[in-house]
Amino acid sequence: MSKSRTAIARQIIRARKQTVGLIDPREFTRKAAAEGGCGVIGIASSMQIEGRHLLQSLMQMRNRGNGKGGGAALAGLEPVAFGVDSSTLSEDYLIAVAYLDLAARPDVERQFIIPKFEIDHTHEFPLRGELEPRPPKVVAYFARPKSGALAEFKKTSGLSGLGAEELEDEFVYQNSYKLNRSFYAALGDTRAFVLSHGKDLLVLKLVGFGDDVFRVYGLEDMKAHIWIGHHRYPTKGRVWHPGGAHPFVGLNEALVHNGDFANYTSVCSYLAQHNIRPQFLTDTEVSALVFDLHHRTFGYPLEYVIETLAPTTERDFAMLPEEKRRTYGQLQASHIHGSPDGPWFFLLAQSLRNGAGPREVRLIGITDTSMLRPQVFALQQGEAGQPSIGFAASEKQAIDAALQSLSESDGRFWTHPDLIWNARGGSHTDGGAFQFKVMRGPDGQAELHCRDKFGRQIEIEEVSTPYRGEIRISRAAGSAQDDRFDQVRDDLHSWSYADLQGNLSGLLNGEHNRRDQLTLIGLLLDRRVDTGQMRRSSVLSILDQALATWIQAVKEDANSQFTYHAHGLALPEPSEPRPAVVLDATGFPAQGPHSLALEMGSLVDRGFRDIVVMNVRGQRFIANGLGADTGDIRIDVFGSSGDYLASGIDGAQVIVHGSGQDQLAQIMKNGKLVVHGDVGQTFMYGAKGGEAYVLGHAAGRPLINAVGNPRVVINGSCLDYLAESFMAGDPLADGGFVVLNGISFDGRGRLIDLETPYPGGNLFSLASGGAIFLRDPNRAVGADQLNGGEFSEMSSDHWELVRPLLEENERLFGIPVSRLLTHEGGPAAPEFVYRLIIPAGHEALQPEQAWIRH
Amino acid sequence: MTNPGSDPFAGRTHKHTEWLRSGFQYWPRADGPPPALGDRRWTSDLILANWMQSEGVHPSGLEHRRGDSGGGFDALELKVLPQRDWVPETEEIDTTLQLNRRTSEPRIEIPIPWYGAGMSYGSVSEQIMLARAMAAERWNTFTSTGEGGYPDSLIPYQRHVITQIATGLFGVREETIQRTRIVEFKYAQGAKPGLGGHLLGDKTTLPVARMRESPPWVSLFSPFPFHSVYSVEDHRKHVDWIKTVNPAALVVVKVSTPTDIDMVAVGSYYAGANILQIDGSYGGTGAAPEIAKKNIAMPVEFAIPKVHRYLQEEGVRDEIVVLASGGLRTAHDMAKAIALGADGAVLGTAELVALGCTRCGNCERGRGCPFGLTTTDPELSLLVDPSWGAERISNLYGSMKSELEDILRKLGLSKVTELRGRTDLLRYIR
Repeated sequence: MSKSRTAIARQIIRARKQTVGLIDPREFTRKAAAEGGCGVIGIASSMQIEGRHLLQSLMQMRNRGNGKGGGAALAGLEPVAFGVDSSTLSEDYLIAVAYLDLAARPDVERQFIIPKFEIDHTHEFPLRGELEPRPPKVVAYFARPKSGALAEFKKTSGLSGLGAEELEDEFVYQNSYKLNRSFYAALGDTRAFVLSHGKDLLVLKLVGFGDDVFRVYGLEDMKAHIWIGHHRYPTKGRVWHPGGAHPFVGLNEALVHNGDFANYTSVCSYLAQHNIRPQFLTDTEVSALVFDLHHRTFGYPLEYVIETLAPTTERDFAMLPEEKRRTYGQLQASHIHGSPDGPWFFLLAQSLRNGAGPREVRLIGITDTSMLRPQVFALQQGEAGQPSIGFAASEKQAIDAALQSLSESDGRFWTHPDLIWNARGGSHTDGGAFQFKVMRGPDGQAELHCRDKFGRQIEIEEVSTPYRGEIRISRAAGSAQDDRFDQVRDDLHSWSYADLQGNLSGLLNGEHNRRDQLTLIGLLLDRRVDTGQMRRSSVLSILDQALATWIQAVKEDANSQFTYHAHGLALPEPSEPRPAVVLDATGFPAQGPHSLALEMGSLVDRGFRDIVVMNVRGQRFIANGLGADTGDIRIDVFGSSGDYLASGIDGAQVIVHGSGQDQLAQIMKNGKLVVHGDVGQTFMYGAKGGEAYVLGHAAGRPLINAVGNPRVVINGSCLDYLAESFMAGDPLADGGFVVLNGISFDGRGRLIDLETPYPGGNLFSLASGGAIFLRDPNRAVGADQLNGGEFSEMSSDHWELVRPLLEENERLFGIPVSRLLTHEGGPAAPEFVYRLIIPAGHEALQPEQAWIRH
Repeated sequence: MTNPGSDPFAGRTHKHTEWLRSGFQYWPRADGPPPALGDRRWTSDLILANWMQSEGVHPSGLEHRRGDSGGGFDALELKVLPQRDWVPETEEIDTTLQLNRRTSEPRIEIPIPWYGAGMSYGSVSEQIMLARAMAAERWNTFTSTGEGGYPDSLIPYQRHVITQIATGLFGVREETIQRTRIVEFKYAQGAKPGLGGHLLGDKTTLPVARMRESPPWVSLFSPFPFHSVYSVEDHRKHVDWIKTVNPAALVVVKVSTPTDIDMVAVGSYYAGANILQIDGSYGGTGAAPEIAKKNIAMPVEFAIPKVHRYLQEEGVRDEIVVLASGGLRTAHDMAKAIALGADGAVLGTAELVALGCTRCGNCERGRGCPFGLTTTDPELSLLVDPSWGAERISNLYGSMKSELEDILRKLGLSKVTELRGRTDLLRYIR
């Protein structure tokens, strides 16, 4: 901090003393509620979009909330929706007050609104529909501080060194504090409170689910650049107040949170030292207050604020450049007590001054250093002049649902993102945080930029033109040039979108075998191939449509090899010539007695052994509950599959045509899991065996506590904690192992080597069995990343063990073994390309006495 | 173990078991207490009384109600009514407990308000597990696998065996979840909250390692907490998972006693749990670190009423069963726990004492247990014959049941469910 900034920060903190008074630390020994997990989705779009596009996502994530708190944050609003002009929207504070008791309104206005502000406009949100308990009446005041009141505040608070807007900000902030103090106390009188008070920023919340907020306050039709929707899952008390729901505000930002802190009291004490008293007694509120303190009062850039929340630790700290180590070291030394001790994932909507024009608004997602909450980011990037859109959410399926909704109403969006990734918390690689910033020009044009914590831009390499027209795939028109995948793959780069649609129409024209049609569409979905002028994400959207056409054909075609089954239909019986069943997942709940997973179990009980499940929308537990010895079952999954997929399979083959989510293949015993994409957190936790092949990356903690003989190929990398406490015997004597290839694909479907196959600081920690085969010809991974493992000599016996898996990997994904054995343009020996990591024989794991050796 | 009855070491173990067993007869009736038996919590009187009960004899002449720890259940006393207010002997006392209080199926009723706690294969021998399962079957109650897998020899008793899923997921497979009527999630143990599970290398014998599918002779750690559960909504997903694999299973959530146990209880209820097991810190064998036992988290006698009241305020108390565990030694302890607000109890160490445990504390070593209880050593574990063990545990249960009936009678209550939350029937003795 510069000297002048320090002086200003001191002034602000001192000034708050008068307002806040003496804070007794005992006030914060108890939270009002324990925050559970939550379901969140955030969207940032260069084009303002309607709130209705979050509805389906939130509906699909209702299992992450309990209906005791829902909230929404919006930034970059549409002035006409409020009946103001754009300069009022940018220049006025938007003070949104929730009235739980309508009778409080005159008192609130008399004390805290009218004497303090010039009111340019008042907007009252009509309440729609019925909800119990009744949502608060919300009044939004577009307000400017009255000069007299401001001058008085300046004098009494002693804030002489602040700029005009900074002074106004603090005036508004303290006024809201006092309003809440008078009309809302978390454990007492609850008549009214301030939802939000930043410019061009709005928060709405109630007791209910997140999607209820959108319906009750009519946000479906409201437009904004930045949206956050949140389900809360608190666990205390029967009486609930909307004041406890997320988001919470500092001043210019609204924050939602998924997780729970271990050090709530400590963070409160830290805030008390800066004369800040929380009023709603939840983890989320204190996070918002810490963010505001560091960003607005201390004036730290976003990168530093992120560092104070999610400190860079261990090896990641050592990997930082010298200059960052120095700065981060100082930030940590000064602010570690204010750092929330996770698990948490924060999403923020922020609105900041941008000269005289419309405000700069952004969506920020930050994950904790240990990455203990689910989080996924995505970007769909338009070419120049076309909208771009970014996402951060608890689950990938929620992003898919939002894109589906957007694409249905606006042809400029399509159903697949271009990029989708997980943040590596507190890391030197991406810092565990990403922001999507919407920069608006005076002409109404806006751009979206995605950057990581360190300011590195995230974008697709080659901005090809996506397909924006209506996708037409019929079953009669055109004729397939060829239905062999090899041929199609080679031709694809020369095709136009019309060619693709034409060829798919031809393929589906009914003369072909339905099974072959599905196989070809599946291969096109799964394989990373050169799509030439076409953008891969658009190709995927077109293939989705081809699948939909295919399902329709199966439904109508009495002569296909498939039985069609869907929600509401009676369970079919397998019969020749239809041993296989196509199950349309639409309408099946994600869990519970009528879930998709149990329906699949019933189909298996009826004798089906070949199940193709389509249109999955986040349903959980797919292929769970099949029981022991299911070697004859094959399940193909299309759509956005949910958590716990393939957990406990014992022989079955499960093929995911796309990415998986969290907790895949937990306790897997036997069989085969193939994922044509990435997998999420705790992949194969406690697995006992079986084979798994992942085309892309794994998130945190894959293969943790795995035993027996699981054999796994991960072609990408993983965030951290790979194979912790791995106990899978001796690979050469039928034990288990993981092959980590450290490769990825470029925009043209070509294989590229990652900078390092493993960026994490913990690899094979406390492992006592099994092995890791790390494809690392450049020796990028150091012994300091092994905590309980050690590098060992790779022998030809080891290669004979790995080779069959890599050959299968080649068959499944088209990743040639010969390419994996290429180094610096030429062939290299497997024993050179792959490095063997074995358990180091950690002292903590050894027997205590010598008697066992005799 | 191929056949629990076979005894390749017959000659060597016979003498040993004979002497051990004659000790059960001799010591409770000897003049004066035996040297160096028990500790303040499990006094020599309590151990000897347990041995008598396990033989089906009323433990007269011994202090069989209370230990000497000076705190916990030993500082509580039940307020017995004057004899005229007792429930007459002619009237039956009802000690049954419904384990599913939700509207869902199935109903599972146990005739005594307790079942056996989780003890893993590895921490104890297969013989001990079998003895406990046989006793559970005899009493139509349950025992729990612990987290070391589900030995095949228990399958004949599967209707009375709870499958535990703990953080290491050792030995958990779909068929073990499907064959059980109750699935137990072990989040923490009262004796060592936040420390996960440990099986030291000495006890990871070849059969134990085979069951857990780990390398042998290596210390096995179960992490804390579940790597897939870091919040209540993850926990709900976890419960939903079990309900997918076995829709008919009841779900037990076993937790220790953190200060926010009330929130944990409510969260567990909303996540769909049928039973909440509150595991206090007075339990644990010698394998639990000394520094942890009794020193982490809240005393269970504080945790039980806190949870009970909280669930009442939330209006869901009668939809979830709360079981107390962790150092409950006698029917008196159980009655006190129920009066504090639990519905019933879970017994651990008391069953081991019935089989000869003297609380010597040598449980973590492979060949440390002189009575063949906390061992998987092929020779030592033969000291316990499962049917002999089942007989003793059954006798103990029978004795505890009549003692509990006696307590209820003297409190003027004809049903154990009427005792729940009756803190007015307790007094502190200090």
